Amino acid sequence: MILTQTAALFVDAYRELNARKLFWITMVLNLLAVAIFAGLGINERGPSFLHWTFDNEFFNTGLISKELFYKLQFTTWGIPVWLSWVATILALISTAGMFPDLISGGVIETMLSKPIARWRLFFTKYLAGLLFVTLQVTVFSLGCFLVIWIRGGAVQPSLFLAVPIVVLFFSYLFAVCALLGLLTRSTIAALLLTILFWFLVFLVNTSDNAMLSQREGAIVRAEDARRNLENQVVFADRRIAQLQADDDPPRDDDGELITDLDEQRVFANSALRASRDRLARAEAAEQTWTRWAAIAGYVKFILPKTQETIGLLERNLISEEEMRKLIGESTGFDPGTDEPRGPAMSDPRAQQRVQEILRSRSLAWVLGTSLVFEALCLGLCVLIFTRRDF
Amino acid sequence: MTAIQLTGVEKIYKGRVHALRGVDLTVHPGEVFGLLGPNGAGKSTLVKILMTVIRPTKCRGSVLGKPVGDRPTLARIGYLPEHHRFPPYLKGRQVLEFFAAMSGVARKDRQRRSAELLELVGMSDWSEKKIGGYSKGMRQRIGIAQSLMNNPDLVLLDEPTDGVDPVGRREIRQILAHLKEEGRAVFLNSHLLSEIEMVCDRVAIMVQGKVLRQGTIGELTQGVGGYSISTTTELTAEHHEVIRTAAGERETVYESTRVVIQTNDPGHIQTAIDALRAKGVVLSSVAPVRVSLEDLFMQTVEADESHGRPGAAQNRKGDRR
Repeated sequence: MILTQTAALFVDAYRELNARKLFWITMVLNLLAVAIFAGLGINERGPSFLHWTFDNEFFNTGLISKELFYKLQFTTWGIPVWLSWVATILALISTAGMFPDLISGGVIETMLSKPIARWRLFFTKYLAGLLFVTLQVTVFSLGCFLVIWIRGGAVQPSLFLAVPIVVLFFSYLFAVCALLGLLTRSTIAALLLTILFWFLVFLVNTSDNAMLSQREGAIVRAEDARRNLENQVVFADRRIAQLQADDDPPRDDDGELITDLDEQRVFANSALRASRDRLARAEAAEQTWTRWAAIAGYVKFILPKTQETIGLLERNLISEEEMRKLIGESTGFDPGTDEPRGPAMSDPRAQQRVQEILRSRSLAWVLGTSLVFEALCLGLCVLIFTRRDF
Repeated sequence: MTAIQLTGVEKIYKGRVHALRGVDLTVHPGEVFGLLGPNGAGKSTLVKILMTVIRPTKCRGSVLGKPVGDRPTLARIGYLPEHHRFPPYLKGRQVLEFFAAMSGVARKDRQRRSAELLELVGMSDWSEKKIGGYSKGMRQRIGIAQSLMNNPDLVLLDEPTDGVDPVGRREIRQILAHLKEEGRAVFLNSHLLSEIEMVCDRVAIMVQGKVLRQGTIGELTQGVGGYSISTTTELTAEHHEVIRTAAGERETVYESTRVVIQTNDPGHIQTAIDALRAKGVVLSSVAPVRVSLEDLFMQTVEADESHGRPGAAQNRKGDRR
């Protein structure tokens, strides 16, 4: 009986989505996006689209392989822009009405009068909603897989990780949408509030990244200031030693010998005081940004990690080595020889550290905390759905 | 084993709305049982409790021998909710097969039953058209067919003839008779007293969350509701005054050449007969008046201190003096 009921609910969900037309509209848009992706290319002169080539001396096959070009396009546009925004919004519009429609008068009575537990009815409906995204992402990923294979010459089965990852990402939002649908009983309210929640998560993510960049920038600056101070001290000590060797030990304005080592150093190197002030400022900034980064981190901890979940795909498709090389090439910065410039957060070393921190966030942290959030939402949904009188 | 056996069912909604106040009710297998009551009496709440749509505050009893709320038992019950709304994107046949699948009916049986039932409710020609294009009566027919897809032992129908034309109503009555012949119990919720009277073996009258009367129609309407005295000439105000004095506190309905005194005791009308004859009125007949289900319903509703529709009751009282 369970299989019969589950199959019936899935078929019904498909019919419902099919009737809304948006399923097919999204499918056509997906195929269009794949076609555009296939039209893109790169050669020794620069990037190309269909038969047009755009000459570019910094972006051509001399610097970037075809394989990496397509992988980059997929991870830069395909996943974060297309699947994570456009397709997700379309999916939310299509599925937001599932629960308000289910609990509307005249429908729910018939459904609940059947021998199916309420929690099972809820979860089957929820999974049926995720079916929409699964089908869309599978078609899109298959298209992109073929493009990377045929045009880029690389077989990337890991690209199909996009299916579970994007479905997981959508499931966080769909859980919130289901909860809001049950609470408000309105499709429009559920949709708008879910998008608002999504925007809030985006803001928290952006704040977290900005705080991390500021913190890492301040740490880098503090380290620079510390190193600079050490150099100044070494220079001062050498100078003191030289003065003492010349039998001209450091003296104050009154001609008295300076016995205190620190005062001797300041006497020997006038830049020392400025270096100490710079270090103090850098350490204060480090402390401030560490505190703010921690606050942003706490807020982020309880929310689903939409950005990081999608980022898991990038981690799998582009290696750390490739990423480091790309950052270096895009900024033209060589950490070995170049001096830092610009504001602390835009320091390439800080950017690299931020990238490393983001990449080092464990799967358990990214998925674990997000799934706990989703489980709480779904738990609340089931509690409401099973206890409510209709 | 009874089809439905309920004792002391109570439901208090949030906000302290006392919808059911200790309902006791019995439905036997193979009988058509009618539940009557004014709007807001709690009829639909009671049915929804039986179908697990609403959780009771207090409930003792059984449905088909299992405790109320037992989920597997729902596979043996057919239900047509009031104001049901089937998905408009489904075709008539798909509605039947979808809800049958939800009841756990096997695919082969679903296909066979849907063809049979579409024929039974006269919707075969419309089976491949989407519900969105159906009239209210057609949806009601599909709803009834849906409630029978799982070959139920008990069928609960909430206002099944709502929106159905007279021909359709007769067909529904025939379906109910057919179900009864097959030994199934039918629980009917309806406002239409005449319909209930025509098809039900037993009825219950529910007012303000309580079952005030319950039994066969014969049991409930047995005895006389009063006596009718017909005259050859029109009754005047003077005659009314004479009758009022003779009838005392008993309710009396006056018509131009007829007066009905509500009493079960023929002794009570003798004084009125004597008084009228003393005034020279010629009597053409004196006969007992049987209570109709409608009269019984109205008496029950009005007898309840806080009856459901005071406006309607007052309008009827306006005819009486």
